[in-house]
Amino acid sequence: MTPPKIKIESLDFYYNTHQILSNINETIPENAITSIIGPSGAGKSTFLSLFNRLWETTPGARVEGRIQARFSDSFMDINDPKLSVIQLRRAVGMVFQMPNPLPMSIFNNVAFPLKLAGITEKETVQNRVTTAIKACGLWPEVKDRLDKKATTLSGGQQQRLCMARALVMEPEILLLDEPTSSLDPRSGAMIEELMVQLKPRCTLIMVSHQPDQVERIADQVIDFTPGSESCR
Amino acid sequence: MNRWGEKAIYSLSVLSCVLLFGSVAILLGYLLVKGLPALNPGLIFGSTPMVDALFLKRQVFDGIFPAMAGTLALIALAITIAVPLGLLAGIYMAEYSGRFTRSVFGFFFDLLSGIPSIVVGLFGFSAILFFHHHISESLAPCLLVSALSLAFLVLPYIVKTTQIALETVPQQTRITGLALGATRLQNIVFCLIPESLSTILGGIILAVGRCAEDTAVIMLTGAVVSAGLPDSLFKGYEALPFYIYYISSQYADQTELTQGFGACIVLLLICATLFTLAAIIQKKVRHTLLYRH
Repeated sequence: MTPPKIKIESLDFYYNTHQILSNINETIPENAITSIIGPSGAGKSTFLSLFNRLWETTPGARVEGRIQARFSDSFMDINDPKLSVIQLRRAVGMVFQMPNPLPMSIFNNVAFPLKLAGITEKETVQNRVTTAIKACGLWPEVKDRLDKKATTLSGGQQQRLCMARALVMEPEILLLDEPTSSLDPRSGAMIEELMVQLKPRCTLIMVSHQPDQVERIADQVIDFTPGSESCR
Repeated sequence: MNRWGEKAIYSLSVLSCVLLFGSVAILLGYLLVKGLPALNPGLIFGSTPMVDALFLKRQVFDGIFPAMAGTLALIALAITIAVPLGLLAGIYMAEYSGRFTRSVFGFFFDLLSGIPSIVVGLFGFSAILFFHHHISESLAPCLLVSALSLAFLVLPYIVKTTQIALETVPQQTRITGLALGATRLQNIVFCLIPESLSTILGGIILAVGRCAEDTAVIMLTGAVVSAGLPDSLFKGYEALPFYIYYISSQYADQTELTQGFGACIVLLLICATLFTLAAIIQKKVRHTLLYRH
């Protein structure tokens, strides 16, 4: 097993007074796919939102315990107030269950995180967008219509576009919340293949409802089924 | 609910729509029948040649050209004042305010939107009188006072629609930008506002319409019967609704009344043009925000 990328220690999570997660202790290995499984409502998506602090956008949410991630060889506390949440989210990409392209062109969708980060040099943007789209195997399908609306793409293409958008910042960690569940089997298989290819440059954490998918690509499994604190 | 109940509600709702549609059709038809005979260059430019009037070579004394220009200037001024203020206040209300400030401010904005325009007009009038007595004799009811009062009148519409438009952006869209590393402001500017632009525009259109039609505010704050083309913020001006009001309340013969109806049609046409313009601007802004490389 590869060295740990993220260490979670005695983690509790609450919405107002309702406890969602209690006393989680896990280690997530680097350059591997960690899959989170369990029944609906067990807190899988919430768990995923801890790593880019997206839970902070939900009013009444509160976290206790420690999550440490290793960026450039030293571990740091993700919830440290001194750590900029903006910087964190640029280093931790996320892909959602439903493809969520923004209502803009294909090119601008992928270039969007660069724009947010203030990277405007034309050639750099061009290169990084092209590289990200190629990495997701989408280039042959979109290279002639980069200025067309992203919503004109099929569901599977949109999801790969969202992967490209998440990858354009070259994140060290990629979060995926049931990335294939809204797709047809063929598109799903492409996303799975892509995830495996990404392992050398990324640590992937994926929520999945499909046991066969977990079987195929996961290197480690965290089971959120009540009563089974198991780790494979 | 039983079958008859369903049928009754259905029939009544259809009937209501037909009734509304019918009233609007009758209103427009009546206006057209009454006003069309007056709708000619003479109504607008009087006895002044059109080209001379348009190129400002000669004043128009007996047409509604100065009133049209006055109304347009008034709308442009009031909207220019109200839109930035309203947008910013709406953004604050939706994105930054806490629960307490939101409810307090929201209550006051609702109160403001319920104030009759005659009261706003009276307030503008009293304010300028106060300034006239205490600051400078030269300050009097004028275009600027009218525009400020109108801006005050329409601000709540813009604040409210902006706030609602931003608040109703789906959570999924709201977190998309944030998850990609957007700051709060970047998320508002690049994701939330483009998403809610058409709703916000609805509020602005409502405001434009209100500025174009309101008579109570302007007759107290600066509109006069005869002023020529508006050439200063600090002078009285002519305006279409005021023209329609005085000509239809004091007409000497049938021709003057017909001119009033003609002016109504012109006012409606001005509004229609402005709404179309607003829709085009909305498309352009959206395009610039989203598609420019």
